[in-house]
Amino acid sequence: MALDDEPRLGCGRSIDRIWTTIDQPLNAHEQTCRQCQAARAQLKRLNEATQALREADLHDEALTPRSGVKTAIMDVARAEIRRSKRILLASNGNGTTEISEQALSSVIRAAAAEVPGIHARRCHIEISSATSDSSVDDPPSGQSGVIGPHLVIGLRSAVAPDINIPRTVQLLRQRIITAIPAGIGISAGTINITVEDLYDV
Amino acid sequence: MEDYGSGFEAEPGLDEGSIVARAQDGDLRAFEHLVNSYQGRLFRLAYRMLNDRGDAEDVVQEALTASWRGLARLQDVQAFGGWVYRLATNRCLDVLRKRSTRTEHITDPQDILSISTDGAGSDQLSDPAYAAERTARDDGLTAVLNTLPPEQRACWLLREMHGRSYAEIGATLKISPTAVRGRLARARIQIAEGMNEWR
Amino acid sequence: MSENPLQSQLITSKLIASLAARTTLETPGVLRLEPTVKGFLARLGPAALQRLSNSAGQNGTYRDDGVRVTINDNVAVVHLDIATDIAYTALNVAETVQQRVRGNIGHTGLTVGKVDISILAIEPPPPAKIS
Repeated sequence: MALDDEPRLGCGRSIDRIWTTIDQPLNAHEQTCRQCQAARAQLKRLNEATQALREADLHDEALTPRSGVKTAIMDVARAEIRRSKRILLASNGNGTTEISEQALSSVIRAAAAEVPGIHARRCHIEISSATSDSSVDDPPSGQSGVIGPHLVIGLRSAVAPDINIPRTVQLLRQRIITAIPAGIGISAGTINITVEDLYDV
Repeated sequence: MEDYGSGFEAEPGLDEGSIVARAQDGDLRAFEHLVNSYQGRLFRLAYRMLNDRGDAEDVVQEALTASWRGLARLQDVQAFGGWVYRLATNRCLDVLRKRSTRTEHITDPQDILSISTDGAGSDQLSDPAYAAERTARDDGLTAVLNTLPPEQRACWLLREMHGRSYAEIGATLKISPTAVRGRLARARIQIAEGMNEWR
Repeated sequence: MSENPLQSQLITSKLIASLAARTTLETPGVLRLEPTVKGFLARLGPAALQRLSNSAGQNGTYRDDGVRVTINDNVAVVHLDIATDIAYTALNVAETVQQRVRGNIGHTGLTVGKVDISILAIEPPPPAKIS
């Protein structure tokens, strides 16, 4: 399509080239070409106007959305989030207690936040079916030992470029093994940690 | 320092990729952080595209709500920024398409100048406090900007005001990065010439 | 059984819901009841609420933010959606809520059926107000 050809001045000079060299001294052609000089002067003025507008818009209080916009966005998000998966923690004649995958993940992420050099990302939790039957039975009364479903936790993470990855992952695993019984009241089960990315520090 | 309690201040320096990943898992505070980080930028883009606060706010709301709904399908967490910019840009272009079926399209710089000084073409000039803070240069640039065809204006705004990459702008407008480069060059010279006339 | 049908009319599901909600909120480690879609609709306006109550208001069921109570044949069944404080063990908090809610509803003379609890969020406590 002709429209996408590189736009040029009458003298054949690429406009893009004039723009990208606007802060450099004039070359031999530009020193004598009036078309180039005129275009350059105009673009220079545009460049300054562009920077001024960018700065002015960035700091213009009037150029921000009203707070109601965020409220409306978050209302929709909140209303639609409840579809997340539920995990049965305990069940007896008095009723059931379940936990959302979301709530479980937040305990895992809070634990990860205490380990420097690693950021918790997506967290996926499954129940191992082999042992899930035991969670439906009434626990013996008075027993305070940790019980519940056998969790299989898949946690993805990003790490800082300069850390010892095996040691950091091991530290994170230990933190999660402690945090789940403390925060939720069941055993941590199987924890699979994947390092998928490096983050910039 | 005890003031945070909840929110991402509790985890300073969390990278955007990790925040996006958490929002993908349905973490509302992570998503709220993204809303905070993008709503202003998207509003400035939409306002410069549409010249109407209400329409611009609608675009921000629709784009970020759509981003929440589509988050799970986002493969690369690093691509979130480009993606919400794309959602917002395409909504702006939709709004302008709908408007152009209702009103005449204005292409002559002289027309838009006379309209905006009447206060009918944009709402910014009707606010005296706002107008006083703005230099004539800003007004000249934005007035000429408004004479560009919508896709070219989007191209210029995304690059010059928001620093988005050629590849990303190309993906948004469904053209090649080379075509983005060409369209930008054409937009720049057109704006520069328009500003001459404004002066 | 239902030899006294008047009883369920005297004690409404709405009353039981507010009793259950108050009991829950007084339990240490509970941060709040989690708002449901209805709370969101309430902010959208009365029309949306109207539609919801027409469809869900049958069979002696009452819903409010985070609480759902059904009374059938003098038996109250309760469902609670809660957010708990990360400093507490969520399962223990839920069990305490269950026991207290059962106890308090029992005092009304109704039979208590299942009290089901969903833990939908676990968070740090909100910061104390510093003035």
